[in-house]
Amino acid sequence: MASIAAPTSATSAYASGEDTGIWSWITTVDHKRIGTLYLWTALTFFLIGGFEAVLIRTQLMRPNMGFVSADTYNQLFTMHGTTMVFLAIMPLSAAFFNFLIPLQIGARDVAFPRLNAFSYWVYLLGGIFITLPILFKVAPDAGWFGYAPLTTTQFAPGMNIDFWVLGLQILGISSLAAAFNFITTIINMRAPGMTLMRMPMFTWMSFVVQFLLVLAFPPITIALFFLLMDRFFGTTFYAIAAGADPLLWQHLFWVFGHPEVYILILPAFGLVSEVLPTFSKKPLFGYNVMVYSGIMIGFLGFGVWAHHMFAVGMGAVADSIFSMMTMLIAIPTGVKIFNWIATMWAGEIRFTVPMKFAISLIAMFTIGGISGVMHSSPPADLQQTDTYFIVAHFHYVLFGGSIMGIFAGIYHYFPKMTGRLMDERIGNWHFWLTFIGFNLTFFPMHFAGMLGMPRRVYTYDAGQGWDAFNMMSTVGTYILFVATIFFIWNFLRSRTRGAVAGNDPWGAGTLEWSIPSPPPEYNFAQIPEVSSRYPLWDLKDPAKTAGIEHSHADLMTITDAHAVPVHEETERKTAKELGIPMPFPTAKPLVAALTMFLMFSGLLFLRNGMPTVFLIVTIGGAAAFIATLYAWLTSPLE
Amino acid sequence: MSMLRLRQAAPALLVAACLVALSACGGTEYPNSTFIRNTDLNTATDELWDLLLFWGTIVFVVVEAALIITIIRFRKRPGGPAARQIHGNAALEIAWTAIPAVILVLIAVPTVRTIFQTQAPAPAGSIRIEVIGHQWWWEFRYPDLGITTANELYIPVGRTASFELTSKDVLHAFWIPAMGGKRDLITNKKNYIWFTPDSSLGSNAYNGFCTEYCGSSHANMRIRLYAVQPDEFESWARHQARPAVFPAAATDTAPAGYSFPIDRLPVHVAPQTPIPAGLTYDDDLLAQGDATRGATAFLAGQCYTCHTVAGNPNAIGVIGPNLTHIGSRNTIASGLFPNDAPHMARWIKNARVMKPGVLMTTIGKGEYDPILKRTATQGTLTDQQIADVVAYLMALK
Repeated sequence: MASIAAPTSATSAYASGEDTGIWSWITTVDHKRIGTLYLWTALTFFLIGGFEAVLIRTQLMRPNMGFVSADTYNQLFTMHGTTMVFLAIMPLSAAFFNFLIPLQIGARDVAFPRLNAFSYWVYLLGGIFITLPILFKVAPDAGWFGYAPLTTTQFAPGMNIDFWVLGLQILGISSLAAAFNFITTIINMRAPGMTLMRMPMFTWMSFVVQFLLVLAFPPITIALFFLLMDRFFGTTFYAIAAGADPLLWQHLFWVFGHPEVYILILPAFGLVSEVLPTFSKKPLFGYNVMVYSGIMIGFLGFGVWAHHMFAVGMGAVADSIFSMMTMLIAIPTGVKIFNWIATMWAGEIRFTVPMKFAISLIAMFTIGGISGVMHSSPPADLQQTDTYFIVAHFHYVLFGGSIMGIFAGIYHYFPKMTGRLMDERIGNWHFWLTFIGFNLTFFPMHFAGMLGMPRRVYTYDAGQGWDAFNMMSTVGTYILFVATIFFIWNFLRSRTRGAVAGNDPWGAGTLEWSIPSPPPEYNFAQIPEVSSRYPLWDLKDPAKTAGIEHSHADLMTITDAHAVPVHEETERKTAKELGIPMPFPTAKPLVAALTMFLMFSGLLFLRNGMPTVFLIVTIGGAAAFIATLYAWLTSPLE
Repeated sequence: MSMLRLRQAAPALLVAACLVALSACGGTEYPNSTFIRNTDLNTATDELWDLLLFWGTIVFVVVEAALIITIIRFRKRPGGPAARQIHGNAALEIAWTAIPAVILVLIAVPTVRTIFQTQAPAPAGSIRIEVIGHQWWWEFRYPDLGITTANELYIPVGRTASFELTSKDVLHAFWIPAMGGKRDLITNKKNYIWFTPDSSLGSNAYNGFCTEYCGSSHANMRIRLYAVQPDEFESWARHQARPAVFPAAATDTAPAGYSFPIDRLPVHVAPQTPIPAGLTYDDDLLAQGDATRGATAFLAGQCYTCHTVAGNPNAIGVIGPNLTHIGSRNTIASGLFPNDAPHMARWIKNARVMKPGVLMTTIGKGEYDPILKRTATQGTLTDQQIADVVAYLMALK
């Protein structure tokens, strides 16, 4: 449980007399602390997923290697995908949603602080549930996509898939709860004057992502529920002997799975849209178009799922339609790339570590985007799909895009979170090793794939023309491993030994930089009244925002919120001294998560000949869950 | 500023590496290359690829050049100009929305044309082949020729081969990169793909793969394709359609059918999978293998419950590959091992050590079955009996 214990030492910077003991973390409902918990937990899972990648690449270093067995390899690649998608990148984004959204819109917390804590605990428990089995070699082994009928009991009689289906179902609850929370927060809790079209781009992209979550998770929840019923209660949704159509799963999965790609990438787009203007000393180029293109990407993302299925034989008409829909997405994505470059054009670019990661997102995501267009053409895709060309493509999107963006975000916001800057020198080592290791790992995969190497193979024969590419990829992965050590070192050391940051170390323009670092528990001593997109630049460098529209909120809203014009807050008083009511700390969200978790895990006993234990655990868990919810609902928030 | 120079050089190096590697992609060094235009399907696909690569390269160069120029030109310098506060430019933004749209139209039109061209019904006169996926091997049937075989596929050059694909268990996908794109094998559904090997091709062997993840031995589900001259194909087909003749009668004068000569197998088609450590077999026994005794042992080992040998009235199983002409094949275990006596003997002795997860049980007496997690006792064969079975199977030419 290192992921729980670790943050206690991260709080040394909380200097305002707030409680920092372990219990305070367990009962916290503070969005910043929950964001910190997300960050530590997700980084832990990122390291686990990365280590799985190291084992995978070691096995594939040379043909016919016997470093791990076929079954272990299949568990490793399944868990690498599952971990990186659900336990690392999504929650890393969630860390930023939690920490940043209330700060960026000038709010004191999210709309439902206790639900927010619940989301985190459900994520932690679900993550542990799905990760632990690999230590006992019973990890899920049907791929992160879990195509039926390979996941049915006929072909997967063991417990491996049980952990996967229950784990993902649990994680989905976390994502849905969080999404409703942030939608409510963004719609209702913006400071006076913070109109939708003044929201920082990160908040905007997060806003779009929350809708994607709310709309994309129901299909996979249904798909998983069918599978759960099949595996535990003998229904036949995916049972081929009963005539099931295996494509049912694929359609449901990809209706979720493709929007999921944008769930993974849009927060990173948002983060670099904060980093690039800051270090170019210019506002974001074409703000409106950036907002609309983000919405457009999210919208079109629901109409392209079947491009993952060009090989299943949907027919020429469906292939053509999904092909053209997919090509359309390239347009708003391209607009974003060009607008980012235009943001830097005529600026004063400072090559800090976050800026380097942000620039490399543009450079690397472009490659992933181009290869994406290459497989939007179905006949060409039929030579590419399920080969290493695809592996190369989505790593350029998810590593070159999401991870680069998230690292940019971590370096950029670390001082806000901890009050201290990360070390630039170690950061540069981290960046350059990552950049080189990343390209060495994934660029050769384009060639391996187009030269005939299938993906998801635990081994390959000699003499196929793939040896050199695989060796390069493995060496690249080892470089990434070293790069990550630099990151961990920097991250751990800078918490206590980094240079003190102050409110605004980068000269940024948005609200979160107007308050102390780390922010006090109440965020804003006085709710700010916002009059433009870069309120802090209005204050410090009005020339920067002279060209954009300014206006004031109506007097009524300002008075209602006791808002004052944006200013730099420097004093750090306690909430009590300021008379700001804060939500009570409570362990009920954790207890609710635990009891719900119990309810689900009871199912594990059902397929192992212990129906009585199943009944006791599941019904007991359900009863305790309902009781906890009742206690939760009847206890006051503040 | 050395960091900055490296940053500038990296994309250029990538492009260079890309071009160097691409120029080498057609040769024998890359036997599974998708860029070889062996068939009508691959030609159509590769023409599209060339178009995609052309536009992709242009976009890559334009974007990366714009990025690099921007970050070099507008890097903060002592005494440099202050940032100019530009918030947007409608004309520019319309331009970089419209230009990609035009490029996409240029890609979409040939794409749709190729979709309809390659997914049209196969031309008349093509050879029909049913492909049935199993965990983890391929069943090939030629319904018009009365042939059922496994893992090794023969087609004549110059004539369209039309495949009808389905699966008996989980999903698989059929892919021979040098011949064209792939198509999934889906349970309870039929899929189709066809291609015509160019009539100018000499007789040659190609590798194919399962490309839909299908469980433990997904990586070990390989295809050997022999695209041969029409007369060679005729000879092969005529022979394969006949039941196995065993023991070969003295009166049987029918010429042996064509099979792809093992000594002409290209290096990449000859399997090089190492034999797993810990599986021992005394190869000296193989010299004493007796095919007639082997036919009996074939029954004692209960091989007949899963395998068909046409002409052997007992052997009518359909769970495993059809072994009627197993002696004429160049590989066993779905292309994992060469079809020679030492490999075959070890395969029979303990297939589950040779190929992870395989359905075929451990048959060697006293051998440990890694899936059932116990020592094989029932229906087992001694090493001598295995040598006899090997002799029998090798005689099934």
